[in-house]
Amino acid sequence: MVSIADPMGTVSIQSRLGLAPGTPPLVALRGVAKYFPGVIANEDVDLAIYPGEIHALLGENGAGKSTLMNILTGIYQADAGEILRDGETAEFSSPIDAIAAGIGMVHQHFKLVNAFTVAENVHLGWSQTPARISARTLEARTQKLSQDLGLTVNASARVSDLSTGEQQRVEILRVLARDAKVLILDEPTAVLTPAEARELFVALRAFTARGNAVIFISHKLDEVVEISNRVTILRGGRKVATEWTESCTEKSLAQMMVGREIVLNNLRERPKGATIGAPVLSLKDVSLKSHGAMLLKNVSLDLHAGEVLGIAGVAGNGQRELSHMLTGLAVPSSGQVHLDGVDVSMSGARAMAEAGVGHIPEDRLHAGMSPALSITDNTVLREYADAPLAQGPWYIPRQALHLAQEIAKLAEVMVPDFAMPARNLSGGNQQRLVARREMRIADKVLIAAYPSRGLDVGAINTMMHYFVELRDRGVAVILISEELEELVNLADRIAVMFHGEIMGIVPGEGVDIEDIGLMMGGRRNT
Amino acid sequence: MMSYRLQRLPAASPAVAFAARLVSVIAALATAGLILKLAGMEPLALGAKVISSTFGSSFGIADLALLFSPLLYCGLAVAIGMRVGVWNIGAEGQFNLGAFSAAGVGLFVAGPPVLILPLMVLAGMIGGALWILIPTLARAYAGVSELITTLLMNFVATLLVYFVATGPWLDSSGMALATTARLPVAIPEIWDIVHWGLPVALGLAVVLAIAFNYTKWGYEVRIGGSNPGNALYAGMPVRRHLIFVMLLSGALAGLGGVMEVAGTVHRLQGGISNNFGYIGIMVAVLARAAPLGVIVSALFMAVVLNGGIILQPQGLTTQTVLAVTGLILLYAAIGDEFARYRVLRTIQPQD
Repeated sequence: MVSIADPMGTVSIQSRLGLAPGTPPLVALRGVAKYFPGVIANEDVDLAIYPGEIHALLGENGAGKSTLMNILTGIYQADAGEILRDGETAEFSSPIDAIAAGIGMVHQHFKLVNAFTVAENVHLGWSQTPARISARTLEARTQKLSQDLGLTVNASARVSDLSTGEQQRVEILRVLARDAKVLILDEPTAVLTPAEARELFVALRAFTARGNAVIFISHKLDEVVEISNRVTILRGGRKVATEWTESCTEKSLAQMMVGREIVLNNLRERPKGATIGAPVLSLKDVSLKSHGAMLLKNVSLDLHAGEVLGIAGVAGNGQRELSHMLTGLAVPSSGQVHLDGVDVSMSGARAMAEAGVGHIPEDRLHAGMSPALSITDNTVLREYADAPLAQGPWYIPRQALHLAQEIAKLAEVMVPDFAMPARNLSGGNQQRLVARREMRIADKVLIAAYPSRGLDVGAINTMMHYFVELRDRGVAVILISEELEELVNLADRIAVMFHGEIMGIVPGEGVDIEDIGLMMGGRRNT
Repeated sequence: MMSYRLQRLPAASPAVAFAARLVSVIAALATAGLILKLAGMEPLALGAKVISSTFGSSFGIADLALLFSPLLYCGLAVAIGMRVGVWNIGAEGQFNLGAFSAAGVGLFVAGPPVLILPLMVLAGMIGGALWILIPTLARAYAGVSELITTLLMNFVATLLVYFVATGPWLDSSGMALATTARLPVAIPEIWDIVHWGLPVALGLAVVLAIAFNYTKWGYEVRIGGSNPGNALYAGMPVRRHLIFVMLLSGALAGLGGVMEVAGTVHRLQGGISNNFGYIGIMVAVLARAAPLGVIVSALFMAVVLNGGIILQPQGLTTQTVLAVTGLILLYAAIGDEFARYRVLRTIQPQD
């Protein structure tokens, strides 16, 4: 890899890291691949981690970061390629092997026992825990480890009483106590305050100064630039590049992270007469608080009839809450939701559906369907209470079957038996049925959350044409997606979410992908 | 080259599923027979005796009907719970409370039977519903699993009935030990000793089948019971349906207790529930929570229980019968799984 600071590539990685020439990487992956049914999770990935470096691993959701780290920590076994430990091939058939080889990981969601003390958590499942133990010896050992490793913890405190930052320190201590040389951190700052994040960075630098290495998984560009020596960018399961961080900018990283080959297929062309109309659904300064966390922060949006508004952002930045807010599934802590100028903040999901707001939810199997029930039951979910399916209190199964057959025909799903549980259908067919069901009631608005997740290209294409069809009918469509390609091709405007806020709204026509990437990483569009 | 392999189907066809059930029941009876044979008994002769004693006389059929009825109430109670995603293990306790409440009204409220009987039915159903109220609220508002709470309430109810029947409500005439006095009113009989409890239960099964399959309410309960997240998404009142169906489940088991104390036993005594509540779980599982299916499975269980009673003089204990019912359940579960497989014969081309 040619970098700006070293245009000829003559200075070795070792010398730039201040290592003796020929020092092998602490751990390296060579040509690693991992396949799941129908999915390439990783292919042909090379990665070398040298002593003394903080190596950032950057990529969007689904870029293959987690799978790669699961291979490195022995949770998965690679289908191809090899792992080298200090220059020698190693085989990690389980996490125990990886830990023994000095590779430890702190997951994004901590794996601590809340009811145990810090000392007990550190010693849990550890071969070096003495056979005869007392609370006092455990705490003394923990205190000593904490001093040796420079991670201040209160050994006798119960984990449930600790702040998230302190819990993370316990996790790191747990890993380092087992003599880890390579520490993998998955989105470590997502749960930290800025002050806690700074403390973490100091501890990480101290750790690498002792000849160890850190792999730092993140999608926050500013952090990657601040903390790492080198950065590897993954996209679609493959390695895009490994660069010296000092030769990168947030902008260049964003481009590498999201700037895949975008297949331009402009779907914004409209037939004559189909235009963007007046606002139908609006969020007015909406915030949502839950358990002290701000899930949505002062979000204001106007959605116009006949428009497709795309919502971009790394998953988990408030998109789910936004979709719940727009469909009556959540009540704002402050602010209002207006449908056709009427405040509907408190109306609830049923009233919103009856008012013409359709909703393709992000988790089909948990919200969109009842997988154990029949295809008929699932297909008529929005119309079971209306004629001809219902008369007074009665529900007429024969009419339900008729409607189910009609929807399945429109969705082009072959159903051998409508009494069969819906879980027997493929994901693509389930999604088509849900989409068609929702389109029938979406007279005004359709909220589609990650509609193409888990679908193949053909099904995604169908889904996009459904949205075009609705839009041209004058329905407002919100398309929440992590596939920038979809948004760029279809959305009239793209709003980018980060930590529950909208970083900016840009026109979809001729959008600069880098701008989107920067906003996804927390840069506000001014 | 010809080879065989198994293919697992997404769903068993109804005919195969039924055949598998039949085979598993026969296999369970055969297993029990084998064990009896090893214990030195004559299983075939015992089986013949059960059949002739049960179906060979009007006494036998009347006895069978009296076992059938409480199993129907308890089976329906558990089955409708399953429809809303709830395991009501407490039908036993709710049955006891129904019997207790009805007996209380019958013993201590004076009046003409035409007034007292409906009052007893009402009291019994409310008693049963009250007995599941705490588990219901804990489940609906705090997500506490009803499995344990409904089970624990059983012990309280059983002991309460023992206590009043041997203590405060003990028959003062000195004629009877450990029971209350005979209730002054009774559920009218329709044939021999068979009372209205049975036809009412059969009618309820039909009504419930219609309610669950042919009403909007039944559709909502079905969605909410199968996937609450899906029901919330569609804006259905998930919690309201959960609470209502759970209370109805308790009331049905309570009604079973009313019929038992006022129609069959005529006195409140300890152990009046006779494990009907627990066997009701088996009845509901065998019926796959379908109210009309409960009629078939409750009848079958009644034959098995009646067989146990008939065979007691032959040295078989009630435990043996419970073991047989357990075997049937186990084999049915295995049979349900096997029903989803079919054998494929594949012919591979020769090179």
